[in-house]
Order: sequence, then C-alpha cells, then structure tokens
Amino acid sequence: MTGRLSDVDIGVDSLLDAAPCGFIAFADDGTIRAANATLCDMLGYVRDELQGRRLESILNLGSRIFYQTHFFPLVKLQGRAEEIFLLLRSKSGDDVATLCNAVRRQRGGESITDCVFMRVHERQKFEDALLRAKKAAEEANELLERQAMELEMSEQQLLEQGEELERQRTLAEEANRAKSAFLATMSHELRTPLNAIGGYVQLIELGIQGPITEKQADSLARISRAQRHLLRLINDILNLARIEAGRVEYNLASCHLKEMVDAVLPMVEPQLQSRGVRYSVDVAPDLTAYADREKVQQILLNLLSNATKFTPANGSVAVTAAVMGERQERVALAVRDTGVGIPAERLAQVFEPFVQVDDSHARRAEGSGLGLAISRDLARGMGGELTAESEVKVGSAFTLTLPALLPT
Amino acid sequence: MDTSVLTRNNVRVFGQGTQPMLFAHGFGCDQNMWRYVTPAFADDYRIIVFDYVGSGKSDLSAYDPKRYSALAGYAEDVLEVIHSLDLTDVIFVGHSVSSMIGLLATNQEPERFAQLIMVGPSPRYINDPPYVGGFERKDIEGLLETMEKNYIGWANFLAPAIMKNADRPELSRELEESFCSTDPVIARRFAEATFFSDNRADLAGVRVPSLIMQCSDDLIAPFDVGEYLHRTMPQSTLRVLQATGHCPHMSHPEETIAVIREYLSGR
Repeated sequence: MTGRLSDVDIGVDSLLDAAPCGFIAFADDGTIRAANATLCDMLGYVRDELQGRRLESILNLGSRIFYQTHFFPLVKLQGRAEEIFLLLRSKSGDDVATLCNAVRRQRGGESITDCVFMRVHERQKFEDALLRAKKAAEEANELLERQAMELEMSEQQLLEQGEELERQRTLAEEANRAKSAFLATMSHELRTPLNAIGGYVQLIELGIQGPITEKQADSLARISRAQRHLLRLINDILNLARIEAGRVEYNLASCHLKEMVDAVLPMVEPQLQSRGVRYSVDVAPDLTAYADREKVQQILLNLLSNATKFTPANGSVAVTAAVMGERQERVALAVRDTGVGIPAERLAQVFEPFVQVDDSHARRAEGSGLGLAISRDLARGMGGELTAESEVKVGSAFTLTLPALLPT
Repeated sequence: MDTSVLTRNNVRVFGQGTQPMLFAHGFGCDQNMWRYVTPAFADDYRIIVFDYVGSGKSDLSAYDPKRYSALAGYAEDVLEVIHSLDLTDVIFVGHSVSSMIGLLATNQEPERFAQLIMVGPSPRYINDPPYVGGFERKDIEGLLETMEKNYIGWANFLAPAIMKNADRPELSRELEESFCSTDPVIARRFAEATFFSDNRADLAGVRVPSLIMQCSDDLIAPFDVGEYLHRTMPQSTLRVLQATGHCPHMSHPEETIAVIREYLSGR
C-alpha cells in the first residue's frame, strides 16, 4: 500500500455506495437530497425515487412522530444526534429497525443533515426482549402495588366496621341504660300506690274503721294476695333494672356458705313441706366465699323457690357445696332438684329476662320470669357466675360459683 | 411573586416591551426550541419562556404523576407561572400540544389572555371518523415503543442526573447539553397525555382570539385538523405556512416570526 487516501482513484459517491450502512442527506424541511445505494437496497427503492421525497415518508408512523418531536429538534438545536433508534419504512411497507447518527452542517448554502443508518436486527431482538421483561416487571410491580392498596383498603374497611360496631354497641348500651332507668323510675312510682292499697286493706281487715263481714274479710284477703303478688313482680323488675342501670352496690366480705344457706332455708321450708318435697343440705361449715351476703342469699332464695316450684311431690331438692380451681380460688354452691327439667334448647334462655321455660309452666308457676336473670347479674356483679344443667323429667342443677379468696 | 414556581418551571424573563408573550414548548423539547423566534419579539414585548415540570431543567422533584397524566395539569403550570409573575394581557404562543394546553388555560382564566397563537395544533391526534386526526391508536403505541427504545440508552445516561447526583458535576454539564433530557417514565406519560388527548369539546368555548398556524405537509397535525380547528373555534384566524413539517419555529423561523408579527399588528 502506498500513499494517502486521496491518491486512490475512487469517487466519493462510489465510496459511499459501497459503505456497509445506509446514508441519507436531508434539508431542514425534510427533503431528501441524497441517499446511498446501501440505503436504497435496504428499503427497496431506486435512488431517483428517494431524491426529493420527504424523510418522514420513509419512516414508520411512530418514528415520524419521534422524528418531529425529538430527532429533528435534537439535530437542529445541538447540530448532531447519536444512536437514535428509528424504524424505517421500506417501499413494500415493512419496518426496518435502524440506529441513526446524524450531523447537521452548512453545505451548498443550506443546512443539510447527514444521517448514517445501521441495521440493528439482532440488537432489536435483545431490546424487544429487554422491553418485554421490563413491561412484565412493571406489570408485576403494579399488581403488587394494587394488592398492597387493596390490603390497605380492606384494613381500613375492617377498622371502619370495627368503629361502626363499637358505635352500635355504645348506642345499644345507652338504649339499655335508658330502658333500665325508665323501669327503675316506673317501678318506684308503681310501688307507692300499691303500698297504699296494702296499708288500707290491713286497716280495714283489722276492723279499725268498723266491723267487717266474713264475706268482706274473704274479699280483702284476695285483694291482699293480689297486691303482694303485684308488689313482688314490681320489686323483681326494679331489682333487674337497678342492676342493669349499674346502680347496685356490692358489700363484698368473707361469708360462710353454710350460714347463708341456713338463713335462707327457713323461708322455703314451709312450701317444701306442704308440697311433699324432700330436701337435704350438705355444706361444710368452713367453706367461705368472698361475696355480698345479702345478694348470695337473694340468689339462693331464688334458686330454692324455683326448685320447690318445679319439683313434684315425692321429689327432692339438695344443696351441696364444693371448692374449685387449682388454687382452690373458687367455691360452688349447687341447688339440685328432681323436677320437670328444662329442654336443652331452652337452657340457655332461662337466664334471659322475662323468660320461663314454657307458657304452661308459666301459668302453673307464679313469678315475673326475672329471678334467674337477676340472680345471674348479681352473681357476675360479685365476680362469680351462675350456670345451669338440666335433663327433662330428671331434674335441674343450678350452680353458683363465687370467689373463695380475697382478691390479691 | 412566588419564586418557587419560577424555579420549579425554570422560568426565564427577558425583553424590553411590557406586554407579555408567553412561549410554551411542545412534547419532547423544552424552552430552547423557541430560541430562533423569541429574539425577534424581545424589543417590543416582555418574553417569558419556561419548561413544564418533567421537561428541560424543571424541578423533577415537583413531578406529580397524577397531575401530569392529563393536559389540565400542564395548564395549571401555565396559570401558576402567570400568577407568579402576575401577568395580564398575555399573548400565549404554544407549539403543538401546548396549543391545547394554552386553550385549556385561557378557558379557565380568559381575563388573563389577549391572544392565543397555536403552532401546529391538534385537538385530537387519533382518528375518530368522520374526524381525521391523522393517526390510529397503534401508531401512537409505535411512538411510545420508539421512545422507549431510545430511552434505553438515554435512561442509562440520565439516571445519575435524575437521582440528583450533586457530587458529579460533569453529569449535569452533559445534561445541559442534552436539551431533550427527560426521565423516560415522565416522557412516556407526557406522550400519552398528549397523543391520547381529545380536546375537541373545549374548542367552542374559547373566549380569546386565536391564530392557528398550519404547516404545509405536517404529518402530526394534518391540514384537515387545522381546518377543523378554524371551523370550531370562534374568533380564530387560520394561516397556512409554506413551512413543512411540524416545527416551523425551528425549521422556518423567519416565516414563523413574520406570520406571528403580522397577526399581532393586525388587531
């Protein structure tokens, strides 16, 4: 090899035509001024077809916009552009992927942009794969974000539902308190005239206001019975209402179980005997509960009168006591009868206010239906519990558990 | 004056006149695209140029994907710049998509504007027969793909700058030279906001006189689109330029200047 490049007898045009990449020169308005043979072959044009044509007409539509919005401003403002990806459009309408380098310079009295296009078939495959992977990653990310958002929303909903429940619970409690307050007031108002009725009946019965006939005495006795029954019902209602309104005070102290049972038993003994029901008490004298003596006795009285009411002649009622818990921290007093029993499906309801096991019993057995509800509320008020077991036609057992020790 | 907006949008103000001329760049560029045109008006007007948030040398940290996923968000940029400088009697000059952004801004606060000059406008790029926008949806998707392919290279180059890598000043210098410097995600969203937009319903309510500058042989905003705009917009003037292509202010600045000047003097 000798000499310089310019010594070689080869025209610039043929040099360009022989180059392994496409070449185009275009003016600012996009008119193609020159194209080399490689580019013509690449797109399937003969050179004359390209001369004078607009550059955009050999670009795919997306690349046309890109040319107008990015590529042209770039070469115009910076004088050059490098490695721009463009899809060229061949004469037969196929897309040809290229990378383009461009330089804008003054030539022949106008600004000409010289562009070199290199086909990037293989590279495009990689880039397509890269973009697909990127898109997949973005979609996965979006999905994750959406799921995170949904989780956040459902958490929010749960919170709101919780708040709503809490609100409704508060409302229900308020309504219940209002009801209890009403009942307490009403019961009190009802008791006053009832006591007046009772007092005047006694005055008349005693003959203080003049002698009465036997028939009148009989009528007064009926009035008196009805008055006492009504007063008992009202007292029960008043008790329950007081408990529910949170107005009951508990005087907790150490109490002997046996003493309390012995205090109550005489009150039901007459009925037990008159009905022919046998009874037994098996309570060790040293067992104590930490409770309110009066309340325990009230509960016991209720349990024993129920047992008496629902146990037929020749049946039996038994009171037993036991220590419970690993540290013997609780005591249990059970009242067991051999009465009519309560069907399993009704057992849970017996502690609801105004419930008796069925209407026929209700008619047979007097009472407000509040006794067990009051008893359980009182038991719980002392930190204890009242539970029931029963079998129809075999009998029922009500167990009152109470704290055995002083709370530490 | 609220300087935070002026920094955010890289606002530059110059010129000896009093009436403001606000130049808004189109998609893919920044305020630099106006540099062949603005000097011609600097003697008689107060020139304001700016970059939309996400473009040029705007504050990328102010970018809000939700706001800038629709042209209304860009119109807010325009109005905020106007408020910050307390401009009135504004001549708004918008290229391409900025024509519609300007229209949205004038519809919102017409009392701030004197005229609306639209360079290569289109209220909708995608065909909706019988309306001819010039493109099908798949063409726009082709553009998005081309952009993405180009941003593969650009993004690598821009990433450190986007992350505000202050201890490498050479990067920001390079960035200054690359006027098309845009985050690829932002660019894509701007492209979608632009090319999937439909502002035809906003045209009839325009309350400001307007100049529609329609290029010959513009593939992005074909002649039918310019006609459609002129037909639909009250108080509009349609001028067809000899300039071809979509960026007459860069390819044919003399003609662009002459047409704008003639329109402004004719009022």
